[in-house]
Amino acid sequence: MFIEYTWLVPLIPMLCFLIVGLLGRKTPEKGGYIAIAGALLSFIISALIAYEYLTGDAYPEPVTSQIAWFAIGDFEINLGYYVDGLTCMMMLFSSFISTLIFIYSIGYMHAEGARKTRYYAEVSLFLTGMLGLIVSSNFLEMFIFWEVMGLCSYLLIGFWSFRHNDGDAASANAASAAKKAFLVTRMGDVCLMAGLFILLGEFHSLDYTELFDPANIANADSTMITLGMLLVFGGVIGKSAQFPLHDWLPDAMAGPTTVSSLIHAATMVKAGVYLVARGYPLFIQDPEVMLFVGIIGGVTAFFAATMALNNYNIKKVLAFSTVSQLGYMILALGAGGYLVALGMDMGGAEGTALIAAGTAGFTAGCFHMMNHAFFKALLFMCSGSVIHSVGTEDMRLMGGLGKHMKITSITMLLGSLSIAGFPLFSGFWSKDLVLDIALEAGDQTIWFTVLWLLAVITAFMTAFYMFRMWFMTFMGEEGANTQHCHGESPKTMTAPLVILSVFAVLSGFLIMFGLDGMVSFEVTDTAFIVGGGHAGGMVHYFEHLFTNPYTYLTIVLALLGIGIAYLMYAKKTVDPGRFNKHGESGLYKVLANRWYFPEFYNWVSWKFGYGVAKGVNYVDRQVIDGTVNGLSAAVVGGGDTISKMQTGNVHDYTAVILLGVSVLAALFVVIAMILGGM
Amino acid sequence: MSIESLILPLLIVIPLIGAVATLFMGGEKQKYAKWVAGVFSGITLIVTLYMMYAGFEDWTVFTVGYDWIDTSSVHIGFDLMVDGLSVLMIFLTALLTLLVVVFSSAESDRANYFHTLLMAMEVGLMGVFMAADYFLFYVMWEVTLIPMYFLISWYGGPRRHYAAIKFFIYTHVASLVMLIGIFAMGWECMAVTGTMDFGFDTMAEIMPATSQAFQVAVFALLFFGFMVKMPSVPFHTWLPDAHVEAPTAGSVILAGVMLKMGSYGIIRICLECFPEGAAYWQWVIIAIGLISMVYGAYACIAQTDLKKMVAFSSISHMGMVMVGIGCLSDIGITFAIFQMFAHGLISAMLFMVCGFTGHAVGTREMPLLGGLAGRMPIYATFMMIAFMASLGLPGLVGFWGEFPLVYGFYEFIKAEGVMWLLVFCLLTLMLTAGYYIWAMQKTLFGPETKKIDLEHVHDISKPEFVALAVLAVLVALFGVWPDAALSFIDPYVDFLVGVL
Repeated sequence: MFIEYTWLVPLIPMLCFLIVGLLGRKTPEKGGYIAIAGALLSFIISALIAYEYLTGDAYPEPVTSQIAWFAIGDFEINLGYYVDGLTCMMMLFSSFISTLIFIYSIGYMHAEGARKTRYYAEVSLFLTGMLGLIVSSNFLEMFIFWEVMGLCSYLLIGFWSFRHNDGDAASANAASAAKKAFLVTRMGDVCLMAGLFILLGEFHSLDYTELFDPANIANADSTMITLGMLLVFGGVIGKSAQFPLHDWLPDAMAGPTTVSSLIHAATMVKAGVYLVARGYPLFIQDPEVMLFVGIIGGVTAFFAATMALNNYNIKKVLAFSTVSQLGYMILALGAGGYLVALGMDMGGAEGTALIAAGTAGFTAGCFHMMNHAFFKALLFMCSGSVIHSVGTEDMRLMGGLGKHMKITSITMLLGSLSIAGFPLFSGFWSKDLVLDIALEAGDQTIWFTVLWLLAVITAFMTAFYMFRMWFMTFMGEEGANTQHCHGESPKTMTAPLVILSVFAVLSGFLIMFGLDGMVSFEVTDTAFIVGGGHAGGMVHYFEHLFTNPYTYLTIVLALLGIGIAYLMYAKKTVDPGRFNKHGESGLYKVLANRWYFPEFYNWVSWKFGYGVAKGVNYVDRQVIDGTVNGLSAAVVGGGDTISKMQTGNVHDYTAVILLGVSVLAALFVVIAMILGGM
Repeated sequence: MSIESLILPLLIVIPLIGAVATLFMGGEKQKYAKWVAGVFSGITLIVTLYMMYAGFEDWTVFTVGYDWIDTSSVHIGFDLMVDGLSVLMIFLTALLTLLVVVFSSAESDRANYFHTLLMAMEVGLMGVFMAADYFLFYVMWEVTLIPMYFLISWYGGPRRHYAAIKFFIYTHVASLVMLIGIFAMGWECMAVTGTMDFGFDTMAEIMPATSQAFQVAVFALLFFGFMVKMPSVPFHTWLPDAHVEAPTAGSVILAGVMLKMGSYGIIRICLECFPEGAAYWQWVIIAIGLISMVYGAYACIAQTDLKKMVAFSSISHMGMVMVGIGCLSDIGITFAIFQMFAHGLISAMLFMVCGFTGHAVGTREMPLLGGLAGRMPIYATFMMIAFMASLGLPGLVGFWGEFPLVYGFYEFIKAEGVMWLLVFCLLTLMLTAGYYIWAMQKTLFGPETKKIDLEHVHDISKPEFVALAVLAVLVALFGVWPDAALSFIDPYVDFLVGVL
């Protein structure tokens, strides 16, 4: 009875967008309450839908319904919803976190005045995009919402791109960051579009029900599916900020912190991961695709973590951390999918075992996605609370804030412990699942062993940089800005922090109470089932986790990372400068310059963009127009000297025209006749 | 005489009355010219909407024919018709003329002539899209040329004379080549039937049956004429110059409707009459389309004048139309027509905002602009909607002229085994996002410019707001409901694919 109204979930924020956009100025908080009400309502409906679906008869089959929209040639494009376990999970955490962040915004954006209308309208539109993406029933519908989110991300990163409170440099920076975010993700989106062309060409439909049907997959050309999914993954690389298109995300921190928290940590950047999970039945058709996915994920996880090690901007540390954690998710999906793909190729009992092992990768990836949404949203909102209070993002100017901001410091500590993988915190469960599946895939190919190693080192780095950040911010002597900070943030900001911290700590346990069904994946002869949960199956997995020696290795590494950070930045008995020649070492500079990726982007855009454009423009002005102008001048000039009867430009030109036309026409006819005769 | 048979002649006569009426409103009365033009173009739009509503099932009820020259050897008729291909173009013409009158309501320099020219242009454009006789088609084609020439050379920018003459020469040369093609058709008709009958119906029967050599040759002549009008690289350089110098109203009509005359002609004449010629030249059409797309997009990046950038983007987008036509397939042509319509709406918005930049700020040079969003939020919003629509943001109309069209092209090249050609389309999509986003960064965002005086800069006025808002609503409406336009196009393309 609720599932039929799934379309309301994205529609309500859409209405909020229109109401706030058109009338928001006249309402209290400039539309803030309307946005909150919309998000909350979407959350409530999502919860009802999830409850009905998970307890209903259809479970675990997806419930879907569509209406015809229009046709591309003979192919119907539909509009509809598609509810399964994955949809439910995504809807729940997206709308829940959005509600909290909107509430938090009331405090955080309080001083923005009339601009708040724009802010709340844009975040509502964003929520439409996110929820629409989740409930879409086909790839094209999904892509529309995907791009709507991209637009909102662009607008919100650039929220202060003009008339920035901190002056001109800051607004120029925001404008440039917004541009970069849009264009870099656009690169991925163009690939995604090409992938959709290929899928449409093979399946003659983009509906999930058609595309995920094993019978249809068997009929399609497998090479084309491979190519198509690689291109689709290009979209994932852009949206989820994977290597090598990751560099927009740290710049995106120029937007308000609430936006970083909502869009660039908890929801939009998850869309790529969601797309891989959603397209899993197609991705697992080829082990090579999944290997590629895994490599990208593993490399990103490692690579991004290195850049967080020596950054002094509290938000950028978190941004790199987000990229790194997204890499984990992609790695898990890749590793698991690799095993499933191999298993399907192999067949027999051995194949079945591989498939069973591989599906854990899907669980790990999706599970980590949910946990990360909670703790990373929390961490960003904590950093927002800090920034709100001290008025800077530079951690060197903070320090000793723990005394002034008790709630923020404790909730941020919980979030940091969670992401560092401290035992029993939510991040611990899912991160170890990720590592475990990578190791398991390592039995099949050396690639995943290497990736596992990278991921383990990343776990250590994560613990280190998170606590480096926490210690630098809250411990030690008071920094320049701490002395005149505004103290703890208002209740509208701290209340969401407290609520989220509960989830950041405990969400890992959700999976043990039967909710694992939402993030499971099953392969049968006739279908691929997402969310076809086997409640209790995970308990077995946790047994395995605690008997696995490598689990203890990562726990030790995490503690080690925290310990080193403590010695360096809280107790200060170890000088970090010893390891980087006080910022002079080559590696330090490479990291501080983000592996020179911004330069690389500039080089590419110059080489393939502006540079070529200059050349084209030159050809246009000089060669083409030069020829035309030269010709007409010669003809006019020639006519002038001969006849001296020039009366007006138009007539001259008409004479030229007639002459030219006759010649041209004759030429055309002759050429065409010759060609036609052949 | 039924009401239906009056509709099409009315669409020509009403703006004609408007043109004549405003012509004689010189002196003190010229301030009323805009009201007269508004009323007459408004009525035209209402009649058009009635026609779209009443004729949806069967367009033939509107077909009318009057003999013009009728001798034993020559038959030229004043024949008018409308169908799924032309109806959207007629709608665009009627809509944009009215909006342009509204948008330019502040025009006070010889306001009566200004509106006369606009109304005269509407007469010509309506004639081109409704003509059911090739000779009439040609005459109307020339009729559109003259008001545009004067609009540029009287109301344009500093280099207006150069631009106007360049515009005139290019399109005139092109139309003369086209005229040769039309006469070739006439002679062929004479050879077959004994009379030189320029009627669409007669030609549609005779032409597809002619020899391949004839089809190839005449297709080329006509195609050249239309190609220059679209315009395609390398015959495009008149367009950026014309746009830069033309007044906003001229640019809107030029980009919004006049360029579509070219692609309309290709579909209406080249494809309908010369299927074998089309098949022969198919790769040439596609190559020209692809080159125009990529070349236009690259040229955009190098521009500093907002309006010039948008002009080059028109070349790029019309190149996409050309590619769609070149597929000669159901999907390709359907969405080529859709793209023509979408580009008509979007480019009208684009030129309105860019033109407004020129009036309000005093310059359109991007290096001089910056941070305008703070002072002109409404203008900034419209610019963003227009740019986003043009770069193909899903949910707005531009996307549906782009995604399915490129898919149609993909299907074609996949069948031909040259899938790598898709790279050009993808590159164009990327570059398009690039120049628009870059332009927005430079004009709307960042620190407020100090290079020019922004003291007296104002946001858009009410009439300008109305014109832009109507377009924005349509851009969004057709974006979420593309079937509203596709349902007009589909039956026509079914017929056309049958011919091919």
